[in-house]
Formats: sequence, C-alpha cells, structure tokens
Amino acid sequence: MKLYAQHGYGEGEKISQGLQKGIISGAVYGAKDINPDRLNERLGEIAAISPTAGRLFDPQYYVSLIGSDPNIRLGRLEEYPYFSIMRRSQLESNKLIEDELRKVIKYQVGLPVTAIISPNILISRSFDSVEAVIAKNFIRQAKEIYEEFSDKRPLYVTLAISREALIDFTELEAFLNDVTLLNSPPDGFYLLIGARSVEARTDLYNADVIAAWMLLNYSLKINGYQLINGYSDLISPFLGAAGGDIGCTGWWSNLRVFSMDRFAPEATGGRQPVQRYLSTKLLNRITFYELDALRRVIPDVVNELSMDSEYIGEPERAMEVLQSWEALSSLLTSLAVSGDSLKNLEKCADAIKLAGDLYTSIKARYRLDTKSDDSHLEALLEGMNLFKRRAEL
Amino acid sequence: MNFEPPKAKEIKAAFPQFQEVLFLNAGGFKAVYKIVASGGPEAFKIVHIPEVSGVDPDVGKEIRKESLGRIAREIKILNNCKSPEIVKLGSIQPAPVVVDNREYIAYSEEYLDGNSLRELIRQSIKPAEEDIRSLFLSLLKAIREIWSFNIIHRDIKPDNVMMLNRKDRRYVVLDLGIAYSAVDTPLTFDASHRLPPGTYRYLAPEMLQPGFRESIDFRSDIYAAALTVYEYAAGQHPLAKNKDDLITTLSRIVRESPPSLKAFRPDLSSTIIRTVDQMLKKIPALRPSNINMLINQLEGKI
Repeated sequence: MKLYAQHGYGEGEKISQGLQKGIISGAVYGAKDINPDRLNERLGEIAAISPTAGRLFDPQYYVSLIGSDPNIRLGRLEEYPYFSIMRRSQLESNKLIEDELRKVIKYQVGLPVTAIISPNILISRSFDSVEAVIAKNFIRQAKEIYEEFSDKRPLYVTLAISREALIDFTELEAFLNDVTLLNSPPDGFYLLIGARSVEARTDLYNADVIAAWMLLNYSLKINGYQLINGYSDLISPFLGAAGGDIGCTGWWSNLRVFSMDRFAPEATGGRQPVQRYLSTKLLNRITFYELDALRRVIPDVVNELSMDSEYIGEPERAMEVLQSWEALSSLLTSLAVSGDSLKNLEKCADAIKLAGDLYTSIKARYRLDTKSDDSHLEALLEGMNLFKRRAEL
Repeated sequence: MNFEPPKAKEIKAAFPQFQEVLFLNAGGFKAVYKIVASGGPEAFKIVHIPEVSGVDPDVGKEIRKESLGRIAREIKILNNCKSPEIVKLGSIQPAPVVVDNREYIAYSEEYLDGNSLRELIRQSIKPAEEDIRSLFLSLLKAIREIWSFNIIHRDIKPDNVMMLNRKDRRYVVLDLGIAYSAVDTPLTFDASHRLPPGTYRYLAPEMLQPGFRESIDFRSDIYAAALTVYEYAAGQHPLAKNKDDLITTLSRIVRESPPSLKAFRPDLSSTIIRTVDQMLKKIPALRPSNINMLINQLEGKI
C-alpha cells in the first residue's frame, strides 16, 4: 500500500519534502485550501520533483449540499468554476447529475493530475435513503461522462459515507452488491469515511467502523477496483491488509479524519497542539515529551527510522508530519504487502499484540496522555476480527 | 406427477425420417435422444407439457403457459449465443408433436460427443490442473456470453456441462431451460410460494432469500460455476451430503462456509484454489464479478 499526503491549509514545503525524501508517493489536493491558479502550479511543481508521484485533486463536491448553511466556511472552494450550492432535491434529477459530473470532470481533465476524481455527495444517514440513491447515480454515470473527454487517465469515483451509515451491515451488504456490478465501471474509488467531528477519534476507532471500512476495501478490490482511502491515517495499514491500494494523511488533525466539520466555523483561540511522534510499534502517536521520557527506559517505542534524528531535541514543527509519514509508510510496507489478505491480517494481529505488550510495559512505569494510550488497540483487533467474519475469511 | 419418456422405437415410429434413434436421458418433463437424420447426428429433445389436473383450470393454464414460455426463452437464447462454450441449436425447429397420443414440443440441438461432468465425477476421475483450468475458463466465457443478454443460466451443475472428445472445444454448457431474464417479465407463475427453479444443491445463497428476484444477477451463476469446478476437481460437493435432507442442505448453503478446495486438492495452483474459494462466498459482492479479469488471471495474463 502506498501513502499519499492529504492536502489542507498550511502546506508550505511539507509535500515537496515528503516526496523528496521518498516517504510519500503522491498527494491529494483539496479545493478548500488552495486557489485554482496555485493548484495548477503546485501540481506542476510536484511533477518536477517526482515525475512518478500521484497527483490528485479532491473537488470536495460533497460540500455543495451544506453550502447554504450561513456558517459554512468554503475557503477557496467558491473560486472553482464547477462549484455551486445545491439542494438535495435538485440532484434527484439524473440529468442534473450528468451535468454536475461533466463540469467537475471537465475541470480536472485540464489539470496536470495523474488521475481524475469524480464528484459525489456524502451518504450521511443510511444506505437506504434518497442520498444513497443520488450517490449511486453519481457512481453509475461517472465513467460514461468521463469517456466523452477521451482522456486516458484513470477515473476514481468518490464514495463518501458517514460512519452512521457505514455500520449498518445489512444495508452495507446490499449497497455493495449494487456498486460492485456497474455497467460502466470506473478504475477505482476514492473512499471517505466521515466522523461527526475531527476530534471524535472514537467515531472511527470503533470495531464496527473499522470492519465495515475494511470490508469496503476488500469487496471492491475483489471486483477489480483500485482503492484510495482518504484521511485514513493510522487505519491505513488495516485497509491495505484488506486490499486498499493507497492511504492518505496530512499534518493537522482535520487531515487525519474526514469530517464535514472541516467546513464548519472554526473554534478560535486554540493553542498549537503538542508535537507528536508516531511510534510504529505502538500503532499510535505519543507526545514529544512522552517520547523523551520513554526512549531510555523502553527503547522499543522508537522506530529507528531516519526522521528519529529530528526528535533528539524538540523537533521543528514542520518535521512532525514528515516523521508521521515516514513511520506510516514503514507500517504500510511491513503490514500490507502481499495480495493475500489472510497473511496481511496475521501480520496486523501480530502488530497489535506487540503494541499491547509494549503498552503493558509502559503502564508499569508511566502514565500516558489519553490520546497516546492504548484505547485504539481493542477497536483495531475487534474490527479486524469482525471484518474476517464478514468477509468469510 | 411422473413422466414416462417415450421409447426410442416410438420416436422412430413418429419420425420415420430419422435413420437412428437412441435414448440418452430424461429429467423433469424432458427427454433427449441421439438421432441420425440426413445431416448427421443431433440431440433430439422432446418436452412434455402436462395437463395439470386437480387444480383450478386457470392455474393449470398458467403453469402450461410458464412451461411454453421457458422453451421459447431457451430457444431464443440459444439462437443469440455464438460462443462455442454453449450448446448450439440443431436443424429441427421447435414444433408441437404427438408421440403415442401425447403432446410434446420437439426440437433439436447439436449432438455433443463426450461425457457429462456428472458421469466423470461418478467414475472418480481426478482431473489434472489443465483440465480444471479449461473447464473454469469455459464456464466463465459461457456466463459472460449469457449475461450479455441479461440472462442468468440458473442451472449450472456437473449434469449440464459436457466434456467433449476433442481438444479445440473441450467443455460445453447445456440446458438453459430455466434461464432467468433480468429484464423481461418473469415466467414463474406464483413465484412467492415456490422455491426458485433449479437444482437446490447448486442454488446460490442469495436465491434462498425472500424477494431475491429483485436483485439477482450473474453472480449466482458464478457461484454455481465454482461449485461445479470444485465438485469436478474434488470429486465431491463442498456443502451437500448424500444423507442430508433438503432443509439441511439449504441451511448449509446459507450458513456454512465450504472447506477450501485446497483441503481436497493441495496439488492445484493457488490461482485456481483462490478463485474457486472466492467465488463461493455467500455475499455476491464478495465474489469476483469482473469476468474478463478472472479469465485473464486464469490464463496467466495478469
């Protein structure tokens, strides 16, 4: 599985450095945080840095339906020619869906991207809903519309699902039975799983959510699709084990969890978060201070990767994301390599066991911050086991 | 209701133009004979359309209409299909005939010289990997062609697949008598009160769910094809047991995971084993549906 940068506000040199160091394989730019001219420039610059890097653009069309909220923060999204505020009832017309697909795809065809991401809305409540019907129509018609442009780049269709909709297994099964049988199949899917808030870590670190997200990857992969998991961060290795091809994560918490509250008013007056270190063996991030306290007594928390040298003293803030990407890439390389899901899952189970043992050693000596603790391990293990049952593995 | 197929000599008497008539097999209300007419051997099929007694005359009429509709659909599909993996129609067009005072619809298909997979399984033949791969590819190509007309075969099983005594055309799928159209008006009369037609051991799990007709697609054939390949390779059905009754078998189909083909044929390649195992998943979305991709994988192209 490859790792892509999930772009957001404050890119600076992060993506360029990640590519230069070879710790990410591409980037997914988001419309909200970059204007159209700069987007074009950046895609070109990235191609110059790394000609083989994946260069993608998330049109963030799913914001259209909440765009009329007076408190919405659209950022640069309004500057894109395809973007307009829509009502759900408008999209009940197939003709309008075709027009919207055409607009968004046409815009991307003109960009130096390596693949096209077609638009969609968020399935926010249930697969048994008008939204889901609209989303399926966006998926069904994308390839035919794309073919009008005679472009040879791969087409990924957006499939954005809230965690509430995702965890109804019966509905998910019926939905998957539909979307795995398309008359005009795209090359792949850009999967987004929505939490209620970017801070609601337990929304995604939940066994039902992890199992369903893995099942999506598994089923779509079995059916020949390429899979990009947006905002998948530390769940990426598990999605890769199930069949995912690409995982994505960024530098802020709102680029590590997908939530529509990215487009809601921002709370003001917050402090800069404490810098964290992603420990591959803990499958989690700990604060710089925790790392400093633990590295001598429990050296296994250290990854022994090149970016560790930045954490000898307090790291520069820009180094945090590079360390995260390097550690996550290393996890993807070790846990999601072969096409054999069962072998990958065994490796994931071993990694969880190892993390559990390490946490036990830590607990005997040190009390970790709540975000650094081991609460994610149970959800990962249960989610993985639940996925195995549902995937009949 | 029992159906006693006409004897070969009765067919010969009714069709004096046939130089030879040899009874081959019978099932349901259908009997098949090898005949030799002026153009060479053909498989001559007669289907009895029974008068249904003891029921409301309107119901009897509907059942008769269903039977006639199925024959018409089978003929239409066979006329459309050009793939060598599917049996071809013969020279005798469907027509009503009377044999020994009984009414039938008669028509012919090409005569296929070989054995059914069922006969080969009974002989405990252990097929080689290449034979299994060839069968697998033939079934997938047949399903692809049939589905291109939005049709599901619904009765793929070892009895309906012939292995021919020639190398350029090895396996052929027969009998589209209960084929289902995903786009036409359903033929099954009073469907809600009947098990889906087909051989219950080969029914895909989703066909046992209420309202399955709304969402059925060719992945049910993919499942039955995998069962057929499995049974041919392993010499036994992965879920059905001879001692089991109908309910037990249906329950196994819905709930029990079949053992991997590897348990019986560890000598086979991982591609064959993985593909068969995957095609036997209970949920259609977990079965590979990209037939071209499957064919390429089995042919070693990807």
